Amino acid sequence: MATSNSGGEDKRSTPSIDRLIHEPARYTIMAYLYVVESADFLFLVKQTGLTWGNLSAHIGKLEAAGYVEIKKDFLGKKPHTVASLTQEGRLAFEAYRREMMQVLDELPPSR
Amino acid sequence: MMKDSELRTIERKVYMSFFEDGVWDIFLGLFILGWGLSILTKAAYLPGVSFIGIYFVMWGIKKWLTYPRIGYVRFSSTSRRIITIRFIILGTAVLLLGLLAAILWGIGTRPQWLADYFPLIFNGMLAAVVCFVAYWARVNRFYLYAALIFLGAVLHQWSGIEWEFGFIGSGGIILLSGLGFLIRFLRKYPRVAQEGKDGDQ
Repeated sequence: MATSNSGGEDKRSTPSIDRLIHEPARYTIMAYLYVVESADFLFLVKQTGLTWGNLSAHIGKLEAAGYVEIKKDFLGKKPHTVASLTQEGRLAFEAYRREMMQVLDELPPSR
Repeated sequence: MMKDSELRTIERKVYMSFFEDGVWDIFLGLFILGWGLSILTKAAYLPGVSFIGIYFVMWGIKKWLTYPRIGYVRFSSTSRRIITIRFIILGTAVLLLGLLAAILWGIGTRPQWLADYFPLIFNGMLAAVVCFVAYWARVNRFYLYAALIFLGAVLHQWSGIEWEFGFIGSGGIILLSGLGFLIRFLRKYPRVAQEGKDGDQ
């Protein structure tokens, strides 16, 4: 697995938590893509509440890390972008969830 | 961090977004309406013809109104398989119901109880099919539609209203409800002219 992405952000700056997925917007995008096979940008904008610019930036980072695959085509004369999780992205998302649950389970009970 | 239940909530939210446009309500309303008009005009072909017509109406609404507003999502292969199986069950149930109605209505010597309670039995079975849709799609308003369909037969049985008017009335109410959902959907989600052109950049 890669240890950095094109944005220079470390994916694993702590021993187990994937910092790339740890960012809430990217986690939300990955969660939506995890439960479906693919979704277009419009769908992700509507569901996540992110702006087009934000979505593009986050998807770009996920794509650079190899977690998301982007397909661009045209619907009539309009550009249409479809995103889907790669196998690596799916595994990384599952691993992140497992690791986070483990971290939370290991927390001492609050006083 | 989301729990499994929260992921399921997302999956459900994605799934439910495709019921927001009222297209399924319009489909059911037109179909029931078609059934009523078929009895009224004695045109047995009408439900079949309307079924095909309604399919194209649905396809058009989804393609031209829904997807340009909320986008397109492709469900996982497992979800698609489950949806296909449910559609096959639903289609078969409607087909069998139509066939049963034709056979029971067509036989010369019907038992008296069948002749007396045929509308009640038929609407009951149709309402059961709609309840099945409500159950698998988890869209609670379809239970209300099922009750409306059954009510049509109850009114016919005990207040003398013609059977077909029960269908036309309930179909009309369901259709209006669907159109209401469609209008609300169109207001809630304005059409996006082009990717990235919603004025936020």
